[in-house]
Amino acid sequence: MTSDAREATPGPPPTSRQGSAISTRLAPQSCIFKEASKEDVMRPNLQKSRKALLLSLRRFNHHVSAQKQPTGLNAIVHQTRDASSAATNPSASSLVGKTIAVKDNIVTASQPTTAASKVLSGFTSPFDATVVKLLQDAGASIGSKASLDEFGMGSHSQTAFNSPVVSPFSRNGEPLSPGGSSGGSAVAVATGEAWAALGTDTGGSVRLPAAYCGVVGFKPSYGLLSRWGVIQYANSLDTVGVLAGNVVDAAKLFGVLNVYDKNDPTSVSDAVRQRLTGHGGSKRKGLRIGVPDEYNIEELTAPVRRAWKGTLSRLQKAGHTILPVSLPATRQALSAYYVLAPAEASSNLAKYDGIRYGNRTSGPDALPKEDLPLYAQTRGEGFGDEVRRRILLGAYALSSEAIDNYFIQAQKVRRLVQQDFDRVFAAQNPLLDSAEGHANDVVDFLITPTAPRLPPTLAELKRQTTVEGYMLDVFTVPASLAGLPALSVPVPLPEKARKDMDADDVQSVGMQVIGQYGSDEGVLELGRTLEDLNPTVE
Amino acid sequence: MTGLPLRPAQLRCLSGISGRLYAPRVAPRACYATKWLSSRGLATTPNAGPEAVPLRKHLKDEAKRKKAEAKASYNGNKKQKVDPRLEKWELTVGIEVHAELNTACKLFSSAKTASAEGNGLPNSQVALFDAAMPGAQPQFQHATLLPALRAAIALGCQVQRKSGWDRKHYFHWDQPNGYQITQYYEPFARDGILELTVEDGVPSSELNGASSLKIGVKQIQMEQDTAKTTAHPPSTYHIDYNRAGHPLIEVITLPHIHSPKTAAAVVRKIQAVLKSVDACVTGMELGGLRADVNVSVRQRGTDGASSYSGVSGLGQRTEIKNLSSFKAVEDAIIAERDRQISVLESGGVIEGETRGWSLGATETTRLRGKEGEVDYRYMPDADLPPLLIAPELIEHLRSSLPELPDSTEERVQRDYGLSAKDAKSIASQDDGDRLEYMEETVHLLKEKLDSAVSDQPKLGKIVGNWVLHELGGLQTSNEESWDSVSVASAELADIIANVTQKQITARVGKQLLAKLNGLPLDDKRPSVEDLIDEGNLRLRPLSQEDYEALAQSIMDENPDMVSAVKDKGQKGKAMWFVGQMVRRGEEGTVEPEQARAVVEKLLGV
Repeated sequence: MTSDAREATPGPPPTSRQGSAISTRLAPQSCIFKEASKEDVMRPNLQKSRKALLLSLRRFNHHVSAQKQPTGLNAIVHQTRDASSAATNPSASSLVGKTIAVKDNIVTASQPTTAASKVLSGFTSPFDATVVKLLQDAGASIGSKASLDEFGMGSHSQTAFNSPVVSPFSRNGEPLSPGGSSGGSAVAVATGEAWAALGTDTGGSVRLPAAYCGVVGFKPSYGLLSRWGVIQYANSLDTVGVLAGNVVDAAKLFGVLNVYDKNDPTSVSDAVRQRLTGHGGSKRKGLRIGVPDEYNIEELTAPVRRAWKGTLSRLQKAGHTILPVSLPATRQALSAYYVLAPAEASSNLAKYDGIRYGNRTSGPDALPKEDLPLYAQTRGEGFGDEVRRRILLGAYALSSEAIDNYFIQAQKVRRLVQQDFDRVFAAQNPLLDSAEGHANDVVDFLITPTAPRLPPTLAELKRQTTVEGYMLDVFTVPASLAGLPALSVPVPLPEKARKDMDADDVQSVGMQVIGQYGSDEGVLELGRTLEDLNPTVE
Repeated sequence: MTGLPLRPAQLRCLSGISGRLYAPRVAPRACYATKWLSSRGLATTPNAGPEAVPLRKHLKDEAKRKKAEAKASYNGNKKQKVDPRLEKWELTVGIEVHAELNTACKLFSSAKTASAEGNGLPNSQVALFDAAMPGAQPQFQHATLLPALRAAIALGCQVQRKSGWDRKHYFHWDQPNGYQITQYYEPFARDGILELTVEDGVPSSELNGASSLKIGVKQIQMEQDTAKTTAHPPSTYHIDYNRAGHPLIEVITLPHIHSPKTAAAVVRKIQAVLKSVDACVTGMELGGLRADVNVSVRQRGTDGASSYSGVSGLGQRTEIKNLSSFKAVEDAIIAERDRQISVLESGGVIEGETRGWSLGATETTRLRGKEGEVDYRYMPDADLPPLLIAPELIEHLRSSLPELPDSTEERVQRDYGLSAKDAKSIASQDDGDRLEYMEETVHLLKEKLDSAVSDQPKLGKIVGNWVLHELGGLQTSNEESWDSVSVASAELADIIANVTQKQITARVGKQLLAKLNGLPLDDKRPSVEDLIDEGNLRLRPLSQEDYEALAQSIMDENPDMVSAVKDKGQKGKAMWFVGQMVRRGEEGTVEPEQARAVVEKLLGV
């Protein structure tokens, strides 16, 4: 790591400002945007149902299942695909009658897709994403598109062009961050508006909102779920993920989507999938669980540390072995991520010019006097602040003067991060021919918190600098860089801690399970174990 | 090959008449005529227009130029204006040639290419990825690799086992993704070589006594073409994405070129090689090929401070983009060389910049300077896996590669006895169709003559002359293409057989050729024998007495000419009498050789 690359390291992490200020309470807003339809008339106002919702959410950290969903919110009428098309798939019955929200950066032919950006306002894709087709074939109904941070760039779902997503949870009357960028998907699941949801995870965008909304969020191994029809943000990291009320549902949804797609050149072939079956182990007893030293950081808040400790001790009692491991490149991972992701974003977002589709500026666009191309104005108007910031950052990281010190260095760090994981996992990385030297104590899975703290309030967010915001991804980014499967499971806070909390606060902490590439089934299995070991909430 | 529209149907007809009796060559040559008909005239640059120089015309010009050069040097360089500055300054040129590959589909989508589909409606062959629809991804089409590999093998390159795809970013409406996918960091082929001779157009002064000049090929990469823009003034542009994503190869030579003529010869040679292995569909004249040239000068015997492509010690270079004809390449380099010398001699500095050149211009014009240079922000494309090419595939393609122009010319000289010049001429014209026709004729002629004259090189030379000069002479203008010649190879073989066997005179043979060329290709078409019999053209030899009587009567009528030969010793004028005898005698009776003997005898010379 050179000094140049270190310049991109985020500054000191935010100090805890929880409850330090009270701002005007935001009106709750729907996390969903959806074409106006007859069905909408039948949809109850979210605000009216808020109380009922919150009551039900108290029980949410336990086991969320269909029968426990707040009845007042389970009223969205979706178009269900006719049974004949559902019957074409052998596993078709698996999702019949299930409503699934789809993050709005995944294209659908029947509804507009905007990626929460003005530049795509009014855009309807001519085709369905492969993951959407698979859901429909399995009989699911996709009635709604879930809001997000513009193009998936953000950790709080506050950068959408039309309206930010609001969490159903609050602290001292202040709404909390729903997490991002798949905030809409997480809220849809948390409120029961959807049985499950599709999100995308580039650096933690499924896991973080899952943790902040008290639901399960799973980012599979890179290349397992098709990205055909997923609007690219950073395509070497972008992964379709699933959010659900519990691990079993998440696993069910994952199972439907986990197929090879010839349209996605990064889709893992059937031959490799065959090899991955049972990879990394999935036994429920006697697992070796690694705890990375580098994740025990100063910025970890007390409730999160307590939940982590509690989880580990319950696992130990259940007969698993807890082992400390070291992942030295973790410190550099976040900086590398914030070089690589913007670099790819600057490239992937170059296509939005308002010529073939999407929003175009109303006035004349070309500025020949300033030697600006045809659509400088359109792009300037079409993107929000955060997207523009990352495009500029990325364009700089790739420029001939900076590429060696930024992009190339970041790629090297990415390789180091992957080698760190390969060294501590007992299972070999199935994508590599030969493994580097192993650590003395190898482990089957890693368990870390999903985020270093509980969700901040929106008011706290406003006082944060951009870099402080980026810090929240510190625990999720390494698995993204290495393409590993990672799952966030909500672990309820101990009863004592909950008593001191606002009743409307999210009363769980997201715990993250990370496994070797291809060990998705094992990761989900361990997630179920975590759920089973949770202290029951009365 | 020259004018459009082409009429290949007639050509096919001819092959039908004569049949394909001759021995096939190493590998069959694809029928270009059909492809040319379907060629869409889609151009990377405003195509075909006045800049296009037909190859045949070019060869003629080249010949004229050489003649003039030879004459000039014979006359002690009296007429040639040599710029004394060129004694002082040395020119260095490196060339990038972009060629559209001959493929059925695009590089990263299964959309048909315009060449595969004929002239489709605008924007009718556009896959989701070609239009950069959100969420669409590239899918490399493996078949597009084959013509690219043939080109790399033909240019003597090392095909890389592993290469990669990179994004080259710049904003233009003809570039829907905002980047072009190319092979910047790891091209699929490297380190090739191009060998040129005087026949290719290299000035002999540059060969330094060697038989050929070797120009290094740095690399070849595959990349995407852009969409086509048409202007509808004053302010409307139409974009046709049918061409967006069409596979191109870019051939980059080393800066090993030191004269404008050699530069043009290099581009011509690359085009010839690409065509011979069926790697590209159309040449420069149809916009399927374009060139960018890097030009620098330095004082002879000194080292400049610049370097590129691994060659150092060069002067600061400028790049001239988008040259679409051989002449444009040559003229643009001359103009840029002279401009750079003038700037340097007046104490100025050459800026590293991009310049443009248009036909008829005397100077290149600045397009953008270094400060306006686009930073392409090259980045590996994370969606595309590396391109892995198995050595077995390369070996297979190498063994089935069509004959390259150089070996064709060598073979024609060896097997058919043509001169180096005629061999190049016949091999390079009409996409090899003329050579095929000649080979067919030789084969048929050999059968007709049986063992009478079995010396193939001798027959080849005779047929070559007929095909190149007599048939060529029937194409009265450049506008008339080879395809308009409608004499079957079997007919030509009949004519030549009759001449060789002294059944008719050469003069009659030529008349028959012209006559047949004017007749329609239908059932009523007479055979050569019919024509000879109908016209009573068969040679009826005169007796010695008849010859002498004819000669004497002409001499009696022209005492001045007789005296010119006899008294003034102007022996050359004896041939005038021979000509008169052939003309005066009845058609098909006077043989020039015999007449000459008689004239010489009577005049005592």
